[in-house]
Amino acid sequence: MFEAFQAWFLEMKEEFILNFVTKNRWEYLTDGLLKTLQITFFAVIIGIILGFIVAVICSTYAKTGKLKFLNFLCDIYLALIRGTPMVVQLMIMYFIVFLPLGVDKTVTAVLAFGINSGAYVAEIVRGGIMAVDEGQMEAGRSLGFGYVPTMFFIVIPQAFKAVLPALANEFIVLMKETSVCSFIGLNDLTRGGDIIRGVTYSDFMPLIAVAAIYLVLVMILSYFVKLLERRLRNSER
Amino acid sequence: MNDNVLIKVDGLKKHYNDGAVKALDGINCDIKSGEVVVIIGPSGSGKSTFLRSLNLLETPTEGSIVFDGVNITDPKTNINLHRRKMGMVFQHFNLFPHMTILRNMTLAPTKLLKISKADAEKKALELLKVVGLEDRATAYPSQLSGGQKQRVAIVRALCMEPEVMLFDEPTSALDPEMVGEVLDVMKNLAQNGMTMICVSHEMGFAKEVATRVIFMDGGTIIEEGTPIEIFENPKSDRLKSFLSKVL
Repeated sequence: MFEAFQAWFLEMKEEFILNFVTKNRWEYLTDGLLKTLQITFFAVIIGIILGFIVAVICSTYAKTGKLKFLNFLCDIYLALIRGTPMVVQLMIMYFIVFLPLGVDKTVTAVLAFGINSGAYVAEIVRGGIMAVDEGQMEAGRSLGFGYVPTMFFIVIPQAFKAVLPALANEFIVLMKETSVCSFIGLNDLTRGGDIIRGVTYSDFMPLIAVAAIYLVLVMILSYFVKLLERRLRNSER
Repeated sequence: MNDNVLIKVDGLKKHYNDGAVKALDGINCDIKSGEVVVIIGPSGSGKSTFLRSLNLLETPTEGSIVFDGVNITDPKTNINLHRRKMGMVFQHFNLFPHMTILRNMTLAPTKLLKISKADAEKKALELLKVVGLEDRATAYPSQLSGGQKQRVAIVRALCMEPEVMLFDEPTSALDPEMVGEVLDVMKNLAQNGMTMICVSHEMGFAKEVATRVIFMDGGTIIEEGTPIEIFENPKSDRLKSFLSKVL
């Protein structure tokens, strides 16, 4: 019994050394991790900006009937993004739109994921804006604020607080979704594991390592979201 | 008190569904500065719609409102500039829940009138002192009682130094024991010469403080006059029947 365990342990140790230590193969994972974080970070920024703009346009149209044309464009955007798979969007962006223009793969991925995320952020934020009491807009307007400043100072901060958990969830999903980057040959974390598998012909260690790294990332993100949520909630007590 | 007409309302109409519903059906009314006008009437009579039309929270279908010599119903008028001079207090307070009381009061003065933060806060604290809430400056609206919220809402509007205050049923959402504290603030305001237009069900307040009472029904002004004329000698049948129900 003990000898069997010892043999298994030795085998694992060898596997570990082969997959990560030999020829500094762990660098595939760290380089990939960096790339994944980089793409996620910039995609989140684009997603937030795009999502809030679209959400404001849609909710303005829903409440006042203004911005009809912009709302129409937003509807098309939402339908296209939410109606097609992320991988397909990424490949269209790369092979059809940006490759002929000679745009860098990372930039392409950031744009593709940002534009994709924007659609989901827009839906979340729109719900948040619609849920803020109409009286808040009226109070802001009655003090002399215009529509846009009232949105900015009064409505959106309240909407943001209400949808923060949903938003954070969306970004966690986004981070995991960047694992499809390898479809355009981008060396992200998932691809790093694949490269190691390709040279060592072992599956267990690289895949488990990749999964573990994603898991830790998600747990760290979730922790910070909880902290932020608690801080926002305290401000109302 | 002087004879300056502050707000001149002419033929004001508000129709919904292409005229099928007539919330306001031709209102003519002059409000002079220093007046305290209380609007009474049954629910659905258009009194709130009328009040909300005065700062264009409701867009009138027809007619004009001249405020301070400017026709604010003209689409070319920048209404935001004129709303600064018309404070409004709502039935449901509408304080900003994500800001402290102090921030609620200083937001508009600092952003719109470009008053320095220190000056705005100093003024806000003075006003809070007047309504007895200076110790709640750093609290959030959810920590206040209904009466306290409404007092804050009143002084928040006063921070903009308005020329007229509009009150839309300011005590209707309050527990009975909190009505008094809000009415006291309003009485105080009236005695200091503020021009006030108030939609209210508080007949006692109307009798005591109003310089003029307007009775509305069916989107029109049925009768108006001093509190004594309205409450002691009502002329129209509709006012008589309304008063018999509420008094």
